[in-house]
Amino acid sequence: MKHRITTIFIATIFFADCHKADTTTPDTFPATEQTVLNDFTDHVAIAQYSNLTTAALDLNAKINALNVDATDANLNAAQTSWKNLRTVWEQCEGFLFGPVEDNEYDPQMDTWPTDANQFDSLLASNNNLELADIQLLPYNLRGFHPVEYLIFGENGSKKASDLTARQKKYMVSATMDIVNICNSLYASWTEPPTDFEAQVKTAANGSTVYSTKQEVFMAIVGAMQGIAEEVGDGKMKEPFDARDPKIVESPYSGNSTFDFKNNITGLQTVYLGRNGSTGITNLVSLRNKSLDNTIRSQITAAINSFDNITEPYEQAIIDQRSQVQQTMNAVNTLNETIEEQLVPFIQQQVKD
Amino acid sequence: MKKIRILILTGCAIALLIRCNKADEFPDDGYDSRLSGGAATVFDATSKAFTHAVDGLSARDLQFHEVGDAAFEQSFVSAPAIVHGGLGPVFNNVSCISCHHNDGKGTPTAGFNNSSLLIRVSLPGEDGNGAPLSIPGVGFQLQDQSVFSSTPEAHVNITYSDVPVTYPDGTIVTLRKPTYTLTNPYFPLPAVYNTSPRMAPPVFGLGLLQAIPESTILSFADENDADGDGISGKPNYIYDTLSHVKALGKFGLKANTIDISHQVAFAYQQDIGITNYIAPRENCDGQKQDDGLKDDPELPDSILNAVAFYVKSLAVPARRNVTDPDVKAGEQLFTQITCAKCHIPTIQTGVDLTLPQISNQRIHPYTDLLLHDMGDDLADGRPDFLASGSEWRTMPLWGIGLFPKTNGIAYYLHDGRARSIEEAILWHGGEAEKAKNNFMNLSKPDRDKLLKFLNSL
Repeated sequence: MKHRITTIFIATIFFADCHKADTTTPDTFPATEQTVLNDFTDHVAIAQYSNLTTAALDLNAKINALNVDATDANLNAAQTSWKNLRTVWEQCEGFLFGPVEDNEYDPQMDTWPTDANQFDSLLASNNNLELADIQLLPYNLRGFHPVEYLIFGENGSKKASDLTARQKKYMVSATMDIVNICNSLYASWTEPPTDFEAQVKTAANGSTVYSTKQEVFMAIVGAMQGIAEEVGDGKMKEPFDARDPKIVESPYSGNSTFDFKNNITGLQTVYLGRNGSTGITNLVSLRNKSLDNTIRSQITAAINSFDNITEPYEQAIIDQRSQVQQTMNAVNTLNETIEEQLVPFIQQQVKD
Repeated sequence: MKKIRILILTGCAIALLIRCNKADEFPDDGYDSRLSGGAATVFDATSKAFTHAVDGLSARDLQFHEVGDAAFEQSFVSAPAIVHGGLGPVFNNVSCISCHHNDGKGTPTAGFNNSSLLIRVSLPGEDGNGAPLSIPGVGFQLQDQSVFSSTPEAHVNITYSDVPVTYPDGTIVTLRKPTYTLTNPYFPLPAVYNTSPRMAPPVFGLGLLQAIPESTILSFADENDADGDGISGKPNYIYDTLSHVKALGKFGLKANTIDISHQVAFAYQQDIGITNYIAPRENCDGQKQDDGLKDDPELPDSILNAVAFYVKSLAVPARRNVTDPDVKAGEQLFTQITCAKCHIPTIQTGVDLTLPQISNQRIHPYTDLLLHDMGDDLADGRPDFLASGSEWRTMPLWGIGLFPKTNGIAYYLHDGRARSIEEAILWHGGEAEKAKNNFMNLSKPDRDKLLKFLNSL
C-alpha cells in the first residue's frame, strides 16, 4: 500500500510537472505562423506588386495615347489610370519593408513635394527627356507627383490642349521610369539576387535576413504600425494642424483622402489576408480572440470614417475639421492598439 | 526500504524544483545586459530599430519629437517655393533621411539620390581658431549636387582596389581600399588641398552620448600615453562660432562638433543648403553660386529645435542573444584583446534636466568619444581642430549588429569601405594595431565568437 502511495505520489509529481496539461487539440499556432507568412508573401506582397506593375503599364499606355492624340478624353483616361495606380501603390504602403525601402523604390516613385522651379526649368530647357535622362533626375522630379502635376494641373483644371510637346515627352519617359521601378520592385521579391519571397518564407529556416520568425512578424506588424502612424500623425495631421492646403500630399488630383484610406486598406489586407488568404488575424485569434476583435473593429472603424470626409482633403481641413479629427482619432486608436498590444503579442507568442 | 523511498521522494522533489525553475541567467553585476541605452532602450530588431523615441515622453515632448521626425524625413526643393524651399543651390542631398537611411548609415556613394558620403576639403594649415582653412570658392565641404540653375562644385569618383589580408591560420580576407578623385570642378581647385571622405553615421542614442559628463570623457583621455599601453585618447576642442569659446567636441567623425544642435544645424546648412539660426549663411556664401536671395534663415527655429530634439530623444536598440555562450565568450575576448580600451563598454550618463530618460543611465555605447590615431590606411590627412590627419573619434558600436537590417546592405567605418564587421576590424591600425593583431591571432572559432558578440550589439 505504501509502495502504491509512493508510486502515485511520484507519478503525481511528474504529471504536475511543468508540462501544461495535454489538450485534445494540437497546438496549431506554429503551423499557422508559416501559413500566414506564405500567404502574406504570395497573396498580399507579390500579388499587390504584380498589380502595381500592371497599373503602371496601364498608365504608361494611357500617356502614350495622350501623347499621340491629345484629347480631353485621353487626358481623362490618363487621370483615371493615375488614380488607379495610386490606389494600388497606397495599399502597398501597408507593408513598407524589405526591398521597397532597402533599394529606395519608395522615394524613387513617391517623393513629395515636386520641385516646381526645377521642373519648370527642366521643361523650359533643351535637355534630353529620354528614359535614361529621367532616371538621372533627382527623386523629386521623378515618380507620381510630377506626372500628377502635368495631367491634373492646378486645382485639377488641366486641358489636353494645354499640354506642350516637352510636357508630353517628359510624361512618356517618366511613366516608363515608373514602370521600370515597379518591375524592379516586383522582381526583388520573385527573382534572385534579392528573392525576398524566399527570405520571408524561410524565416528561421535558412533565411539570411530573418533568423527567427519573430523577426519577420515584427517587420510585418511594424510596417502596419508605421503606416497607421504616418497617416494619423503625419500626412493628415500636418496640413490639418497648419490649416494649410499647400502641404497636402496629392493636391493636384484632389486624391489625398483616397490615398490615406488606401493606406489603411493596405494595412487591412496584411491583417485579414487578401482574397481568402490567411493574415495576422489567424495568429492573433488563436491566442487572443478579444484583441483580434478589437483590431478588426478598429480597422473597420478607421476605414469607414474616411467616408465622412466628403470634400477634397485640401478643403476638408478648413471646412470639415470635426470629420477629419474623428478620422485621425480612429486611425490613431488603431495605431495605439497595434503598438501597445499587437507588437507585444508577437513578441510574446511567436517564439521561433 | 524507507530510506530508499525517502531518497526517491527527495530526488523527485529536487527534480521538480529544477525543472520548474529554469535558471534565470542574471548577470553577475545584477544589470540586464540587453539594456544598451539603460531606460532609453527599445526592443526592436527590425529595419526600424533606430527610429524609436525613448519611452515615457510627455505628450508635449512626444509631439515635439514627432514634428522633428517628420522634418527629418522631409525633402527640400529649390527656392522660392510654397513649401519646403531653400534647397541648395549646391548641396549633397535633399533631406536628412536621404543620407541617414532609417536613422542609420546609408550608402558609400557620392552625388546620387541615395548617397550618404560627402567630401570635406580644406587648404593645409588652420585659421586663428584652429579650424581647417576653407578653399576659396568651395568652402570646407564639397557639395556635389546642385539645383538646375547651378553647377555641382565637383563630381566625386570612387574606385576600389583589392587588398588581401592573410590570417596566421591561412584564412584570406579581401578588403577594398577606396580612392577618391574629384572631377569637373566648377571652380579651379588649388594645387594642394586636403580631402576627407565622411559617411553619414547613425543618429540614435546621441542624447545619451551628449549626457555623458565632460569629466567622464576626459577621465578616459591619456593623450601622452602615460600608462604606456600604446593607446592615447585625445579630446578635441572646437571653436564655437555662436558662443565664441572653445568647447569639447563630442560628435562628428573627428569629434569636431560640440553638441546635437550644432550637428543638426551644420548638416542642414552644409549638406542640404538650408540656412538656420545657428548656421545662417548659405554654404556657398560669398561664392559665385550664392543664390542672392534674402530668405535666410530658411529653416524655422522651431523646426531646427524639433529635429535636434528628435535626434536627442531617439532610443538605443536592445542587444540580442546576450545569454548565448558564444556571445558571452566573445564579450570576454573583446576585453582580453584590448578592443575595450577605446570602445568603452559601460558609461554612466549625467543629468539632462529636460529629459529624465537619458539622465543617470548606465549605458553601453562602446566608445570613449575621444580621438585615436587609426594608422595610415584609414588616415585622411586632413587635420580638423586638434584631430590630426590620422585620428578619428572612436565610433560607438551599439546597434552595429543591426546595420544589415536597417540598411539592407551594411557598410562600416567612416567612409563605408568595410562590408562586414570583420573587414572593419582588419582596417584598424595605429593605436589599434595591437588589438587588430590580437584578433588576427585568435583561432577561427574565437574570431567567430567575437564577431557574434559584436553582432549582438
